[in-house]
Amino acid sequence: MYKIVEHTADVGIEAYGRSLEEAFENAAKGMFAIITNKSKIDNIISKKIEIKNEGDDELLLVDWLNELLYIHDVEGLVFGEFDVSIDEKLVAYAFGEEYNRQKHGYGVEIKAVTYHMLEIKRDKKGVKIKVLFDI
Amino acid sequence: MWNGPLVKIGEYRYEIPKNYRGISGNLRMRTSALIYASDDMISSIRKDNAPEQAANVATLPGIVGKSLAMPDIHWGYGFPIGGVAATDAEEGVISPGGVGFDINCGVRLVRTNLKVEDLSKEKIKEIIDELFKNVPSGVGSKARVRLNKIQLEEVLEMGARWAVEHGYGWEEDLEYLEENGCMDIADASLVSERAKERGKAQVGSLGAGNHFLELQKVANVFDEEAAKVYGIEKNQIVVMIHTGSRGCGHQICSDYLRILEQAVRKYNISLPDRQLACAPVKSKEGENYFKAMACAANFAWANRQMIVHWVRQSFESVLKEDAEEIGMHIVYDVCHNIAKLEEHLINGKKRLVYVHRKGATRSFGPDRKEIPAKYRNVGQPVLIPGDMGTESYLLKGTKESEEAFGSTCHGAGRVMSREEAKRRWTGREIARRLEQKGIYAHPASWTVMAEESPDAYKDVSQVVNATHGAGLSLKVARMLPLGVVKG
Repeated sequence: MYKIVEHTADVGIEAYGRSLEEAFENAAKGMFAIITNKSKIDNIISKKIEIKNEGDDELLLVDWLNELLYIHDVEGLVFGEFDVSIDEKLVAYAFGEEYNRQKHGYGVEIKAVTYHMLEIKRDKKGVKIKVLFDI
Repeated sequence: MWNGPLVKIGEYRYEIPKNYRGISGNLRMRTSALIYASDDMISSIRKDNAPEQAANVATLPGIVGKSLAMPDIHWGYGFPIGGVAATDAEEGVISPGGVGFDINCGVRLVRTNLKVEDLSKEKIKEIIDELFKNVPSGVGSKARVRLNKIQLEEVLEMGARWAVEHGYGWEEDLEYLEENGCMDIADASLVSERAKERGKAQVGSLGAGNHFLELQKVANVFDEEAAKVYGIEKNQIVVMIHTGSRGCGHQICSDYLRILEQAVRKYNISLPDRQLACAPVKSKEGENYFKAMACAANFAWANRQMIVHWVRQSFESVLKEDAEEIGMHIVYDVCHNIAKLEEHLINGKKRLVYVHRKGATRSFGPDRKEIPAKYRNVGQPVLIPGDMGTESYLLKGTKESEEAFGSTCHGAGRVMSREEAKRRWTGREIARRLEQKGIYAHPASWTVMAEESPDAYKDVSQVVNATHGAGLSLKVARMLPLGVVKG
C-alpha cells in the first residue's frame, strides 16, 4: 500500500509493507503512479535489477528508486509490479511496459529522489517509508 | 509557518540577525541572512520553512557577505529556492544544494521583426502546433537526434557551440548567451556513464513541469532606451524558452550529492541540514563537482540552442519566410540554477568568489566584461518567466545588484500544490480560460495544464516589482503570451 503526499512545491509517497522488501516494492509502485498519473501499467517486460547493499537502508532506498528513474529515462519503460529481495545486495524484478503517451497519459516528471524527510520506520505491523521527490 | 526573527533593515530588505539560533536552538550563523521582499510579501514568505533554510546557509564555511534570498524565495532542497550565497575562492565550500537538481535551468528570449497585427489567430495556432510537433515535450520526452557517447561528451564540454557547429542555429547566437553558452572548466570524464546515457536520450527536449515554450507579445515598454538596445519594442512578437539540463543534470546532481555527503564527514564540516552537503572548493570532491556541474550547464545551453533552431524552422515552415528575414535573433539567455566563479567588489576590494544562484538570475550592470559588448552601456538583459499563460518580464541588470553578488529573482514560485490545483480545476477549464484571454495552449497533458494553472503561483509582477524597488534589476518590458507549448 502507498499514499501520495503533496506539499506546495514537491511531491512524495508514504509506503507500507509487512517487510522492508514489500515497503520497497510499494514505494516503487507509488513513484510510477506519480509519473503515469495512476494509469494502468501492464506486465509485458521484466527487468532484473541488482544494487549493492552498503548496510544503510535509507541509502539503499534512494539507490533503488533512482535506478528505476534511470531505466525510465533511458529505456522509456514504466513499471507496475515489483519483486524485491534484500540481502547482501538488493535483487529485484520489475515488471512493466514501454511508456505510451496515449495509454499512460502524463503525471509529473520526477527529477530525482531526495534525502529530505526521508524516513524508514519499523514497528510491530511492519515497515513505513516516507520519501520526497524533486519535481 | 516560520516564526523566526525578520528585522526590516531598509526598503525591501529584511534580515535574520546573525544571533538567531534556529528552530533547533543551536544554529551557529557565520553571517546574517538577508531576504529581499516587499512588506506585503512577508506573510507568504513565512508560510514555509524557506527563511530557516536561508539561515542554515549562513553556517557554510567560507561564506562571504550575507546569505541572501530573493523575493520569490520558497522551500527547496538544502538551500531555499531563490537563495544566493557567495563563498571564498580559496577557503569556501561548494554545494550542489546551492545549485539544484536542474543545473542551468534557464530562459532564452528570441525576438522577431513581426508585430501583433502580422499574426492572425489562425497563424498563431499554426505556429504553436508546429512548435509542438518539432520540439519534444512532456514527461519522458525523447531526443529527436540520437547522439553517440563521443558526441555527447563533446556536448558536455562545448555547450551551445557544439550545437551551432552541427547546424543548430547561427554563429552570432553564441555572443548572446550567458558565458557564451559554455563553461570551459567542464570535464566530461568526471560525469558518470548514467548521466551520459540520460543525456543521450534527452538532448534537445523541453521536458515537463513548469518548463514551457511561449509565443509572446511585448505589451509594455518601461525603459525605451534599454529596450532599443535589446532590439525590443511595443507590440513586437517574441519567443521565450524555459528549460534546463533534463535527466543529465539531475543525474549529475544526484551522483555528486552522494560523493559530497561523504566529503562532509571526511573534511569534518558540521552542517545543520544534511542536504547542505558540500566540500571545500579546493578539495578533489569540490573541484570535481564544479567541473561536472559545468558539463550539465553546457548540456542545457546546447539543449536550448537546438530548441531555438527548431523554433526558427517552425516559423519558417508556417510563414514561408527565412528566419533571417523574420529577424529571429537571440536577445539573451540566462541560467537560474548555477554556481559560478566570479569577481566581486566586497568591502571595496575585488575578490574571487563562488556565487551559488539557486532560483536566482545573474543581473550584471553596465561595464561588466562578461556581458555582450552591445549591452555594456545598459547592463545585461534579465529574463523572468511567468508561469504558463501569465506574464513574463525583461529586466536589466544594475550596478546596485553588486550588493547581492550581481543577482536578482528568477520567477514566480508555487503557492499551491499540484494536487490542490487539480482538485480546483481541470486542464480543459484552464485552457478555456486562457483562450478567453486570447492565449492558445497546446499542452502535452491536460493534467499538467491544471497543475500549472497560473493561480497556483505567486504573482510574478509582485516579485519583479520588489527587485525593481530594491534596485537589483530594473523593468524594461512586460510580455504577454499569445500561445503556449507546455511540457
